[in-house]
Amino acid sequence: MLRFGPDDAPTVIAAPALFEEGNRTRALLVDVLHRLAARGIAGVLPDLPGTGESLVPTARATVLRWREAFEAATERVWRSGQVASSVAIRGGALLDTLALLPARWQLAPMRGEEVRAELLRTMRAAGFDGDPAALSADGDGTPIPVAGNLISRRLWSELADALPVGQDGECSVRIVRLAGDPRTADARLDGTPMWRRAEATGDPILAEALAVDIAGWIARCAA
Amino acid sequence: MLFEGTPQIENAVRAVLRDVLGLSQDRVDALRPETPLFGSLPELDSMAVAGVLTELEDRLAIVIDDDEVSGEMLETFGALTTFASTKALT
Repeated sequence: MLRFGPDDAPTVIAAPALFEEGNRTRALLVDVLHRLAARGIAGVLPDLPGTGESLVPTARATVLRWREAFEAATERVWRSGQVASSVAIRGGALLDTLALLPARWQLAPMRGEEVRAELLRTMRAAGFDGDPAALSADGDGTPIPVAGNLISRRLWSELADALPVGQDGECSVRIVRLAGDPRTADARLDGTPMWRRAEATGDPILAEALAVDIAGWIARCAA
Repeated sequence: MLFEGTPQIENAVRAVLRDVLGLSQDRVDALRPETPLFGSLPELDSMAVAGVLTELEDRLAIVIDDDEVSGEMLETFGALTTFASTKALT
């Protein structure tokens, strides 16, 4: 787990993008958290089960375990006396649903079904030519290899109907998308979809624009 | 109808190749209909193809089925643009 910024300030808990997209957007996310810290907003980047420094094997991770871990991280912020809110990237928007949060901020959020379609496409690119319907077949059977990572069949099944918390436009959920993305959003910012890039470079201009948007939203909704 | 929308689709395809593959603006500006893609652009490996297709889906609000993905649609910039136009404008 990484902590950023002051101890006694409104605190965002970061829900990173899932799987390979999480690797590709980690530098961007850490950059945004540093920039929020510089604006007096604290940040927490938890190592969710099966990710980062977590000791849980990747094949044991499930959506439910991620959600429970995210809720526990949120609970610690509330117990420390600070106002908690979440900042999610892409599939990370699926992870904060159990947490007690007055305000959620999401960059290009995804439905679980879309996460699954991307995993399947990655598997196809790596040579998988089986029937995707067979992947859900047995709840806790052998893990599914996705381009070198093992994911559990339960996680695969959970993604079929996992959704982010519903959106209402302002405080409870604020959705930000990149300029080329036509789907519903509360704001659109110029920038590169770093989650697509195999050689992810930084994007300080986007990170700054994201930090400004989040800081303004925290001031209105969760300070 | 197909004709009218094509320049916007072509621009979207250029932007997707730039953003997903990390190509410079100069390189994407130089793409012509006959410019070969898959097998010729070193950045466009099979994993990158998955990213390009998914990003095209997002930006053009289309769905590309597995059985529509072929070597031909990725052979040249023109073929990919035609594929995207057909999906987006019908």
